[in-house]
Amino acid sequence: MNNIILDNTPLFILTQVVSMLYIVTTILYGAHFFKDSQSAKKYKQPALVLTVLTHLVYLGLLTSIAGYRIGYSTFNIMTMVALTLTTTYFFIEFTTKSDKTGFFVIAFATGAELISSIMTAQTSSTSPSFTGIGMGVHLIAAIFGFSAIAIAGLYSFLYLLLFRQIQRNRFELLFQRLPNLEVLERLIMHAVAFGFIFLSVTLFAGMVEQNATGGVVNISDPKLVTLGLIWLIYGTSIFIRPLLGWDIKHMAYLLIFLFVFITLLITLMAVFSPTFHSISL
Amino acid sequence: MNIISVGVNHKTAPIEIRERISLSEVQNKEFITGLISGGLAHEAMVLSTCNRTELYVVPAMHEVTGEYLKDYIISFRDARKDVRPEHFFSRFYCGTARHLFEVSSAIDSLILGEGQILGQVKEAYRIAAEVQAAGILITRLCHTAFSVAKKVKTRTKIMEGAVSVSYAAVELAQKIFSNLSMKKILLVGAGETGELAAKHMFAKNARNIVITNRTQSKAEALAEELGTNRVLPFESYKEHLHEFDIIITAVSTKDYIITEAEMHGAMQKRRLKPVIILDLGLPRNADPEIGKLQNMFLKDIDALKHIIDKNLERRSLELPKVHSIIDEELVAFGQWINTLKVRPTIVDLQSKFIEIKEKELERYRYKVSEEELRRMEHLTDRIMKKILHHPIKMLKAPISTSDNMPSRVDLVRNVFDLEEPNQSH
Repeated sequence: MNNIILDNTPLFILTQVVSMLYIVTTILYGAHFFKDSQSAKKYKQPALVLTVLTHLVYLGLLTSIAGYRIGYSTFNIMTMVALTLTTTYFFIEFTTKSDKTGFFVIAFATGAELISSIMTAQTSSTSPSFTGIGMGVHLIAAIFGFSAIAIAGLYSFLYLLLFRQIQRNRFELLFQRLPNLEVLERLIMHAVAFGFIFLSVTLFAGMVEQNATGGVVNISDPKLVTLGLIWLIYGTSIFIRPLLGWDIKHMAYLLIFLFVFITLLITLMAVFSPTFHSISL
Repeated sequence: MNIISVGVNHKTAPIEIRERISLSEVQNKEFITGLISGGLAHEAMVLSTCNRTELYVVPAMHEVTGEYLKDYIISFRDARKDVRPEHFFSRFYCGTARHLFEVSSAIDSLILGEGQILGQVKEAYRIAAEVQAAGILITRLCHTAFSVAKKVKTRTKIMEGAVSVSYAAVELAQKIFSNLSMKKILLVGAGETGELAAKHMFAKNARNIVITNRTQSKAEALAEELGTNRVLPFESYKEHLHEFDIIITAVSTKDYIITEAEMHGAMQKRRLKPVIILDLGLPRNADPEIGKLQNMFLKDIDALKHIIDKNLERRSLELPKVHSIIDEELVAFGQWINTLKVRPTIVDLQSKFIEIKEKELERYRYKVSEEELRRMEHLTDRIMKKILHHPIKMLKAPISTSDNMPSRVDLVRNVFDLEEPNQSH
């Protein structure tokens, strides 16, 4: 059988190890958040560091097959999303000293990593990898863009959850453990700003690369239309507050919708179109 | 050697009884000095707070029992008419130690985990030490209690979360805003409740506090006390509602002092930026309809009590951890007490061996050189230490279920033919 994972024993083992580490880290963060487990509190950060490092080694081994260039299949992007989400959260935790949202972000990253590893195991050949610096920038920016969208969506969900808890006088676990509304709002706005920057780079680099390779930019391409629309909504949401007086609660609904929409889109593409750019290849 | 504790507290007696028995600092000193100078106690300490008056006594004679001490304090306070021995609890030996450890770690308090009791226990010990009524036993007991309280505070969450309405208000504000120093706060009403809430806010770095009160001078006095010096005339504060992120109301009034229409206008002016109104008034000061406005958090006393209830619930979940710390310390304290019991035997044993050594060396003093005598002395010291090591270790070892301390002491005393110890403190 011609499969990049099954044909390569170290890669096969590492895929399982990375997935297991994600699951263990999620359990530790969950046990600390929901059960206030002291042993989970002690081991969750080392587990997070170990997961990130092991994932980097795994990616190194995975991309070494194609000369250390990442393929632009959905499953490759999913594993990159898992890594960027975890890394971004890692920096949030270490810079803000707040470890209260870890479970929610890492659980999503774990989901992405598990889907990626299952799909990789079922793929019969290596996916085409990018060539040229323009495509590299396009791909990396797209991954970081989606990670920012995911973080904005997840934090928006937590914001609404806490908002409702306070309004309904339900001062229970979430009220006790989550950071305050203002901190969540700041995290959302930072994620939106970064998301917009990365989506802009994705769009620009994609078009430049298309021109450079002699292709024609088809503005009716569904991928381009969708990305353009998301970019526009994201961009607008940065200015929508000061201009229209929108409050963060309404923005949170919009950001959750975008996050769910994009996640579904990626999942559908993963099912029906194994590579994003298969039409143009 | 025993240590007795008797007393009244919120669990054993109603407030009228507690008031009748409570002692001021002067009375406290007089009481324990009387116990010591009267030859009734070797050591004594009185813990007297608004919720409890408790005696901790190391009796000097067998007649001084729990019942005797109850009667003694009732007579001292001339409260025979109102107070009966049934209003008291009494504990002995390890029960006393456990009780003081529970009191110091605030699990015996009316409000579980309250923060004042440890300071009150320290004050009781200070008074006892000042009148030289705190000897080795009470000193060790109190220091162990302080250590227990410290461990409980650092290792458990028994003291976490607000348990007063005014502090719950601050806790809620901190769950909405991250930095209270950046927020503008309006306090409507400079009464006791408002003052307490403002002080809690101030303690959490809130500095931009504006005060308004019907009596302007009262508002000015509180503003000066807080160091804000910001006062708004009561007649015009409503024109400035939109400027504030947190509004605390604590006035006594039949009508709402802030209406839905007024707050709606204020919210439009501040472009829907979130506002918290903490209504600490009874009857309520703010129209409940305000709570339906967008980005408005209106919380009255009932809502804040939900926070308190949840916090108390969480604190009570920590009780097993606290009890485990207390048990740990109780074992160590019990072992220390046991070493007190064996100390005279150890001293006698060592004295006996030193006496034998000196007698034997004396016989050789003029038969050998000074250098040889010094070596012999050194050798006998080493042999003596090695022989005594095991019996002393056995005496100091924790008591197991199969033996008891008196039998061990008797065994050593019989084997080494030691004289009967003096029965003193």
